[in-house]
Amino acid sequence: MTHFDWLVDGPIVGIYLLVTMLAGLAVRRYVSRVDDFLVAGREMNVYLGVASLAATEFGVITCMYTAQAGYKYGFAGATPGICQAIAMLVIGMTGFCIRPLRESGARTLPELFEQKFGPRIRRAAGIVIVLGGLLNMGVFLRIGGEFLVVVAGLNPDNLEWTMTGLLLLVAVYTILGGMLSVLVTDFLQFIVMSLGLIAVTVLVLWQIGFGTLVGTVETKIGPGGFNPFIHPELGWKYVLFQLLLNTAATLTWQTVIARVLAAKDSATGGKVFTRTSFFFVCRFLIPGIWGMAALATLAPLALQNLPGGLSSTDSSLYAMPTFLATFVPIGMMGLLVAAMLAADMSTDSSYMLTWASVIYNDIVAPFRWKNWTEKKGLLLNRTIVALIGVFLLFYGLWYQMEGDLWDYLTLTGSIYLASMSVLLVACCYWRRANSWGAAGAIIAGAFFPAAFLVLSKLESTKEISAAIGPHLSGILAFAGAAAAMIVGSLLKPQARH
Amino acid sequence: MLETHGHFLWWLVTAAVVIWYSTITIYVAIRGTADVREMLKNLSERKQP
Repeated sequence: MTHFDWLVDGPIVGIYLLVTMLAGLAVRRYVSRVDDFLVAGREMNVYLGVASLAATEFGVITCMYTAQAGYKYGFAGATPGICQAIAMLVIGMTGFCIRPLRESGARTLPELFEQKFGPRIRRAAGIVIVLGGLLNMGVFLRIGGEFLVVVAGLNPDNLEWTMTGLLLLVAVYTILGGMLSVLVTDFLQFIVMSLGLIAVTVLVLWQIGFGTLVGTVETKIGPGGFNPFIHPELGWKYVLFQLLLNTAATLTWQTVIARVLAAKDSATGGKVFTRTSFFFVCRFLIPGIWGMAALATLAPLALQNLPGGLSSTDSSLYAMPTFLATFVPIGMMGLLVAAMLAADMSTDSSYMLTWASVIYNDIVAPFRWKNWTEKKGLLLNRTIVALIGVFLLFYGLWYQMEGDLWDYLTLTGSIYLASMSVLLVACCYWRRANSWGAAGAIIAGAFFPAAFLVLSKLESTKEISAAIGPHLSGILAFAGAAAAMIVGSLLKPQARH
Repeated sequence: MLETHGHFLWWLVTAAVVIWYSTITIYVAIRGTADVREMLKNLSERKQP
């Protein structure tokens, strides 16, 4: 059962989709060079950057897993958001890594790495970034569709077609307008998304109340629901891993640093970071509040009657949309669904473009013919974006997710975050760093998360992987990558000048 | 709404999230519009021969 009404809420969603599409298509005429397509001609200013960064980093999948964290861990589930807000504020204020990155004039991280570590490391880094990013993005479409199934009563049989249609809309304006369309649509999507998030949160706090949320967390989760250090499933390893992971994500996640690279200058990039930083607390706490409200109000058997065909075996993922389906009134439901579609579309468009930029700039670059015209470069970029869309459609819609979604995302993400963050810091601040160290950091950074995944899949080693846990495995990836960078760089003989 | 229920820190963070996010949405909506216009104007001027 859902409060979504096609006559009242449907037109709200329809108008949002139409306006976004028109805006995305309208700016395509400004794209005449590859730089316009990939980094919006480096003309992005602070507030457009804030809107774009916030909209990109909040997708339906974000909303689902952060609400799941609120449902399972209470207020302590917002820890990753607080870690990322601190990291982004400090990096934005100090310009740590992002200043040299922006001032280098590079379009992507691997392009910067080439200046220090050579072309082979550039290509290797490009492959690691694209694989990590695309695998991570693989679960976006299905989870977004499942949100619509539960919250808006969409027929599960139509999930694939609905999400295919949505992806086509996004792909059309991203292919034609590149980063310019992404920025302009992100801006509209930020406003719609924020209105929906604020309205529903105020309604939850008004009708259910902060006291009820606190009481529910106290009785159903315990003191660990307020303090991650004493939660039996979290603890210091979780907090340390989140701090490392979110600092690395702020420094190297291609969709995040794309805003620094598209900024007018390094100072603007820093301001975008400092002024967006607190959004990351909102990004985790707002859906977390919805998740806690679900914990407070859902009947014990509510999650046993979910629609068929949902991918996750952990029903807690669907607690928040199940709660919203009957809590949000008709009229506001249209705003909520439009907000979630806005969140999903802004994430999809930005992700498609930024991974395409790495493929074009760092992986395909050596195979491009010399003296390619801007027109050919644009055509190739657009083709790569389209191919990523096709990949998403098949891998994303048919992928069967298992286990805790957040752990899956952080693990696949950490395959690249650990190595790329070590490479970036060493590239910017350690003169002795060289290609041997960089190669070692990439191998070590990928080894630990990959080994953990393999251990967890094999029956004979499942107990070992359970004893290590995803958080320690993630910490080891960062430590291993840093150690490999130091050892490898020191082992390589220094060139004589 | 104003009762902290013994968890002042989380009450404060929750209040800050609602107030800050509401304010920044309005502010970014206004200043961001100007940024979009300026960006398109600069790109348009750059395209002129």
